[in-house]
Amino acid sequence: MEQDVKQNVTDDTIIKVRDLRINIKVDEGTLTAVRGVDFEIKKGETLGLVGESGCGKSLTSKAILGINDKKCKASGEIIFDADGMGPVNLLDLNPRGKEIRSVRGKQISMIFQEPMVAFSPMYTIGDQINEATRLHITKDKKESKKISLEVMKKVGIANAEKRYNQYPHEFSGGMLQRALIAMALVCNPKLLIADEPTTALDVTIQAQILEIMKELQKDFGMSILFITHDLGVVAGMCDRVAVMYLGRVVETAPAAELYAHPMHPYTQGLLGSVHKIGTKNQDRLFSIEGTVPLALNLPAGCGFYERCSKRIEGVCNAYDPELVDVGGEHKIACFACTGCPNAKKEGKADE
Amino acid sequence: MSKGDNILDVKNIKMDFASKGVTVHAVGDVSFKVNEGETMGIVGESGCGKTTLGRCIVRAYEPTAGQVMYTTSEGELIDFLKIDKKTMKEYRKEIQMIFQDPYSSLDPRMTVLDIIKEPLLANYPHMPKEEMERKVMDIAAKVGLNTAYLKRYPHAFSGGQRQRIGIARALVLNPRIIVCDEAVSALDVSIQAQVINLLHDLQKEFDLTFLFISHDLSVVEYISDRVGVMYLGKMVEFAPTKKLFSHPMHPYTESLLSAVPVADPTKQMERIPLEGEIPNPANPPSGCYFHTRCRYCTERCEKEAPEYVEAEPEHYVACHRAKELKLKGFSYDE
Repeated sequence: MEQDVKQNVTDDTIIKVRDLRINIKVDEGTLTAVRGVDFEIKKGETLGLVGESGCGKSLTSKAILGINDKKCKASGEIIFDADGMGPVNLLDLNPRGKEIRSVRGKQISMIFQEPMVAFSPMYTIGDQINEATRLHITKDKKESKKISLEVMKKVGIANAEKRYNQYPHEFSGGMLQRALIAMALVCNPKLLIADEPTTALDVTIQAQILEIMKELQKDFGMSILFITHDLGVVAGMCDRVAVMYLGRVVETAPAAELYAHPMHPYTQGLLGSVHKIGTKNQDRLFSIEGTVPLALNLPAGCGFYERCSKRIEGVCNAYDPELVDVGGEHKIACFACTGCPNAKKEGKADE
Repeated sequence: MSKGDNILDVKNIKMDFASKGVTVHAVGDVSFKVNEGETMGIVGESGCGKTTLGRCIVRAYEPTAGQVMYTTSEGELIDFLKIDKKTMKEYRKEIQMIFQDPYSSLDPRMTVLDIIKEPLLANYPHMPKEEMERKVMDIAAKVGLNTAYLKRYPHAFSGGQRQRIGIARALVLNPRIIVCDEAVSALDVSIQAQVINLLHDLQKEFDLTFLFISHDLSVVEYISDRVGVMYLGKMVEFAPTKKLFSHPMHPYTESLLSAVPVADPTKQMERIPLEGEIPNPANPPSGCYFHTRCRYCTERCEKEAPEYVEAEPEHYVACHRAKELKLKGFSYDE
């Protein structure tokens, strides 16, 4: 087992997710929220995970840290090249155990969507940043304060000494998000998971935060998993993009390639429904009909079938497409784009 | 009255909120005109007063000062802020609102049918029940709701469908003006496109005038004929959409435009970062409110507040240096 795991991680890959599935038990049955997600992130790279609400992008990221609710049952592989342990499958670790604690917050850390909610109103910002420092780096109070202040300055919090002793309610949204980033970066993580870090912010503040994240990435040399529904933000931030729909990655490609040649009908629809300033006003925005179905007792076939403009009856509603490489690191899961060899689909149907 | 005529003339609206001895000037001296059948967009960061302005116009708030001149369908001119509440109720049928959050703006204990019917009950209490229900059915079908589901409660509907319910509720009284306060901001992109298309179709069909308040510049650019930019309670620039986006004349508009994320990695604009954050509206800076964050700031800007003038035909701006500055906007392909 150990041998298998080691072979899975190449030198420049930080994390590799294979066939991640997350089921949630609810009253009505089992919700298959994530249905076989595959992706990997290289050193120093930013991967954008894009999708609409309910597509499973947040669950995927929380599974990496093992912080999903107990009701969520995850299976598959999340191979992370952890310091001191070598490549491990994070899903094998006890979510309350010592091993995952040495990874969580130190080697992989996370920024959340709503900075107002992510901080406790009862403690000063300094205390909360220090928590990570004291847990992972040093027990020395003075030294940890010094480290925390340094990071606060790095993320652009002016007057850090004064701010250190203030409470979250004394911070504006943009400043709080900076503090949250400081908290995430204080241990110099290898991987930063940013879950919609700028969605709650104004455009001008969003631009500031994105700029800082880019700079810090250069400084710290970390990889970023950037989760968002905003295709504009992704275009400016990410090296590669993975598009998720209904618990699966349906298309992944380098950012420039994806925006220039989107192939999956869902990606095309998503890009078409965003109006680009400066382009001629079409009479109507392209829109994908219908809504995302609930991932409860899903029928066989492609999850996008009901809303797809290119669906092939008898194929797309009978078999689930897998990610197929179409060259240039561009992968898609769509029968209409890649064709569906008969032999292969028969074989899968038997399974 | 015909299309293109003035339907709403907002003059020097002021709204102060006083609390604990502090007065917050949420909206200070805003004036603009809205033409019948057009969509007017209002953009700005959170806290700039755009929602307050929208609410002042429908008189959900009582503005501290100013006039909202409304031209009735008979061509009569009335001031919304002068008439008494009872008369206002008559006219409020003609100016309706769509709210941002489709979750909190619908009563969870009312069926969708009742929600859409409520404005009719309030305004036409003597209308026969059958007629009322027929009207509700008609409008629900128009906005793309399945009429078989109208007896259900809001929780059974998705975000996009709830927003359609909100739109139906606003439309059932046959209004002339609709104030859309962040009407699509809470929706996913693919659903957002559906709702924007719907608003577009409804506007054509019913000759509606929209006042479209949003922080999303791409959406505003798509839907609006003219756009006003607000900063700290004041209108700083106002122009036809294309003009504003291609040739902004106010430095704030310039940085706002440069901060818009563009969904194309090859077309990234040079960011003009805004330093700092929006100042406290209870204690605004001296002179031009924007001078603390403006990179073109001069001594004059710190002392003297610029006037809001028509610098170019149909292009209003409040900046001392509007004419000399060459500011960057989006380039439009023809």
